[in-house]
Amino acid sequence: MGAPGPEGAAGVPPAIEIRGLVKDFAVGLRGLRLRAVDHVSLTVRPGEVFGLLGPNGSGKSTTIKLLLGLLEPTAGGCAIFGVPSGRVEARRDVGYLPEAPNFYRFLTGRELVTFYGRLCGLAGSGLRSKLEEVVALVGLAGAADRRVGTYSKGMLQRIGLAQALVHDPRLLILDEPTAGVDPVGSAEMAELILALKARGKTVLITSHLLGQIEELCDRVAILDRGGLVAEGEVAELAGATGRLSFETEVLPPEEIAALRAWLESRGRRLEAVAPARRRLEEVFRTHVGRGPRDTEGGR
Amino acid sequence: MNAVRFSALRAWLIAGNTLREASRQRFFQFLLLLALALTLGARWLRDFNFGAPELKFLADCGFGAMAFLGAALTIAATAQLFFSEVENRTALTLLAKPVWRAEFVLGKLLGVAALSAVFCALLTGLLSLTLAWREAELSRLLPDAVAPGGGVSHAMVALGGLMQWLRLLVLAAFTLLVATFAQSQLFSVVTGFLILVVCHLQHLAQDAYARAGSAAGLIASSLISSVFPDFQVFQLADSLAAADLPATGDVLRVIVYALSYAAAAAGLAVVSFRRREI
Ligand SMILES: Nc1ncnc2c1ncn2[C@@H]1O[C@H](COP(=O)(O)OP(=O)(O)O)[C@@H](O)[C@H]1O
Ligand SMILES: [Mg+2]
Repeated sequence: MGAPGPEGAAGVPPAIEIRGLVKDFAVGLRGLRLRAVDHVSLTVRPGEVFGLLGPNGSGKSTTIKLLLGLLEPTAGGCAIFGVPSGRVEARRDVGYLPEAPNFYRFLTGRELVTFYGRLCGLAGSGLRSKLEEVVALVGLAGAADRRVGTYSKGMLQRIGLAQALVHDPRLLILDEPTAGVDPVGSAEMAELILALKARGKTVLITSHLLGQIEELCDRVAILDRGGLVAEGEVAELAGATGRLSFETEVLPPEEIAALRAWLESRGRRLEAVAPARRRLEEVFRTHVGRGPRDTEGGR
Repeated sequence: MNAVRFSALRAWLIAGNTLREASRQRFFQFLLLLALALTLGARWLRDFNFGAPELKFLADCGFGAMAFLGAALTIAATAQLFFSEVENRTALTLLAKPVWRAEFVLGKLLGVAALSAVFCALLTGLLSLTLAWREAELSRLLPDAVAPGGGVSHAMVALGGLMQWLRLLVLAAFTLLVATFAQSQLFSVVTGFLILVVCHLQHLAQDAYARAGSAAGLIASSLISSVFPDFQVFQLADSLAAADLPATGDVLRVIVYALSYAAAAAGLAVVSFRRREI
């Protein structure tokens, strides 16, 4: 993986480089194989938020596990900041939040983050201040002394993020961080990710909920059945369609007719008139309070 | 880019977390209480006073509880604590940190070793107290029954406890080796018990084949005995008399024997776990 990526010219290795990655799983008794990742090549530049999108089973989590050296690739390879995955050094600068995370139920939130911090080489007052910082950052300060076994799904995602951030890694890999989390929680997660980006972190995030990702990511890649089907800037992929839409206050029918006539007089057509609706998610977010809710142990 | 070296500290941290998990589990607390109750309760199992043989009986009960429940505890704990990481997917987060897989495997082994050390130490301590108390009582009731020189040697009791722990350490290492390639916890537990039986009985098989003079049997049994340790060697402290204390050299030889088997099994476990897909 020594070959320089697009950023190689400046001497800065890409945050993530995936080259021709293939992963087959043996399924069934007769040596039947399932190709979960099919010749994927990707580059994530330092400092960007990169979205890995795709339906369930498209190979997003498998790609991440290969990247972290938790699985062995069938072919191809990947590297993190230029260090090949599979080497312990590659994981030094990475924080990982697994899909539907699960943590030691018998520890409290604070004990959990302390344990991971120690594993990453933190100790003493450095560890203590980092611990308080990340626990506060994810909004769990009020619940940090409760057993992880009593946490809700959203709280598990938050403590998972705290654990991923404790050693201040340059790269964060978040596998479906908003799956099973309510809209307010997901909006907070999105804000957190943007705050991390502002601090110069690189973020790889996967999701099958496209709407949430769109506002967050600089670039995205779309996987389908293990293969890469699209990759590029969000603005480029999901951007301008070459069409225009208007939004105004409610107009009486005769004014709409006049508008239509005016357009037609210039050889244009008014193609759609519809009342603008609020999305249910906005309604939910305006009515449900923000801030720590399930985190304080009771409402 | 400086390398991340193998760190005993990280293995130790993982061991500490493993021990903490075990100590917060009801099943292991129950096994410990049961063993303590058996050790203490042996005093009331027989309702007669007959001096030194009674003390030996108490010691046999205590060590019996330690051997049997200790093996159950060790096998169950090794398999459970390993598979809880894999099945609850906590191994995913752990191994995504800059942690060597060898540190994970050794951490698990150290954690279980610490658990069985606590188990053996508590039981040995209680047994020593029970024996001292009963010895004092007996020498008051039947001054002649406890012959001079036939008194309890607490060094001997401690040595017995150490032998029990060494045996559990080897058992833990073998069970962990199985767990690193097994797909299920049940398989590891069952195989762990089979290994226990083989380790206990292999010397019998060897004797039997030697007597029968069957060459094929002899080859098979010596193959088995070169792979599996002989748990008979841990019967070093089968008496309570200070006069029977084995020579230091013999004790050291058994310690080295146990540690070499544990290290070999742990080494194989590290190799087998290195490629496991998490
Ligand atoms: N350990 C495994 N053994 C066999 N098949 C697997 C394993 N892990 C994932 N798969 C299969 O690989 C495909 C991709 O899975 P995954 O990467 O989890 O998808 P996604 O995260 O995009 O939902 C799926 O078809 C899944 O069933
Ligand atoms: Mg997934």
